[in-house]
Amino acid sequence: MKKVLVVDDSLSVARELSRIIASSGEFEVAGHAKNGAEAVQMYLQVRPDIVCMDVNMPVMDGITALRTLVSLDKNAKVVMVTSLGGVGDKYTEALKLGARGVISKPMQSEEVLKLLRGL
Amino acid sequence: MAVKFFGQFMVEKGIVSREALLQAVGLQESTNLRFGETARSMGFITDADIARVNAAQREVDLPFGEMSEKLGIITPDQLKEVLTKQRNSHLYIGEALIKVGAIRAEDLPGHLDAFKADQAPYVIDTVAIPPGVPDPALAELIADLTCKMLSRIAGLTIRTGQCAVVRRLDDNDTVVEMGMSGSIQARYLLSVSGNVRNAIARAVLKTDDVSGESEAMLNDAVMEFVNIICGNMAAKAAQMGKTIEIALPRLIEAKGGIPAPAGGSGLLFPVSIADGRIEIGLFMEKA
Repeated sequence: MKKVLVVDDSLSVARELSRIIASSGEFEVAGHAKNGAEAVQMYLQVRPDIVCMDVNMPVMDGITALRTLVSLDKNAKVVMVTSLGGVGDKYTEALKLGARGVISKPMQSEEVLKLLRGL
Repeated sequence: MAVKFFGQFMVEKGIVSREALLQAVGLQESTNLRFGETARSMGFITDADIARVNAAQREVDLPFGEMSEKLGIITPDQLKEVLTKQRNSHLYIGEALIKVGAIRAEDLPGHLDAFKADQAPYVIDTVAIPPGVPDPALAELIADLTCKMLSRIAGLTIRTGQCAVVRRLDDNDTVVEMGMSGSIQARYLLSVSGNVRNAIARAVLKTDDVSGESEAMLNDAVMEFVNIICGNMAAKAAQMGKTIEIALPRLIEAKGGIPAPAGGSGLLFPVSIADGRIEIGLFMEKA
């Protein structure tokens, strides 16, 4: 099963995303980070196959963390999960920095799994 | 179901690839001149003026055109002329996708219709805003989107009341605020009673029963709900040509009520619900 690192400062989002991932039978949650800085640390420890990451977080935001992760590992598969997905500039910025996709909140489980399966 | 922009919709539907979208965006960026570049090409400003405006923008968050006018570099008429020229020469993402070969010209109208249908739930309904309020269109958008999310995501049956200018928001069981900057300097507040909080938590946690959940989890769900509202609001505002940055949602202590900012405006959008109390507040800083 592919390992997914969940990165979100919201307990409720982390729980919902973890539920979607665990219920798929194809993916498992490798860990939960509450901000971008934790995400980078955990990525290096856990080496997940995929990272699902929020944008708006304290300490280090998701875009900065994305930039850092891709510079550390150019093959990192990072998907942004954000309420700002519909903001064109934010969406394209994430893709330009190497995000493999962007999921807009409120998220739909089919949408999340479709994107993860495609990676 | 979220507010999206056209390029995102096309990628999600599998009609264009990420790479094709980025190619089209690249073409847009090289074609669509920014306000400063357009104004310079029209002879209204110099490089030194551009530097002056950029320096001022580091202190005060205003779009380039508005800042130029505020600094007296361009006149209101010149501002309008530049905006008109930008509008008339703008390469839209659909046309850019055609130019990079990602879609055919004859297919664009059909894709646009599908996008319009997808986004129909987010067309803004009219909300009456009292006169004299700065940026009433944004205030209308914020109130309307909140009500749509309350009914469609939280599943609540609500009726909106008359917007009013207030000096304070009354206290309630849970009040979450989110700061906004950019085209609007304001704080968004969602004030809910306990049972409404639980309804929101049921929707966010996708469960029928939240009786066993901690206070922290229930409040977190409302904070995430506010995050969703404000993020989608920023997306809708971007379609209106406005840039809004959002801060992190914050649970605030509301005992004794929450005063509106001194010199600013406090707008209250009351929402009627059979059982409980909901208020949407928009506290705008002094312009």
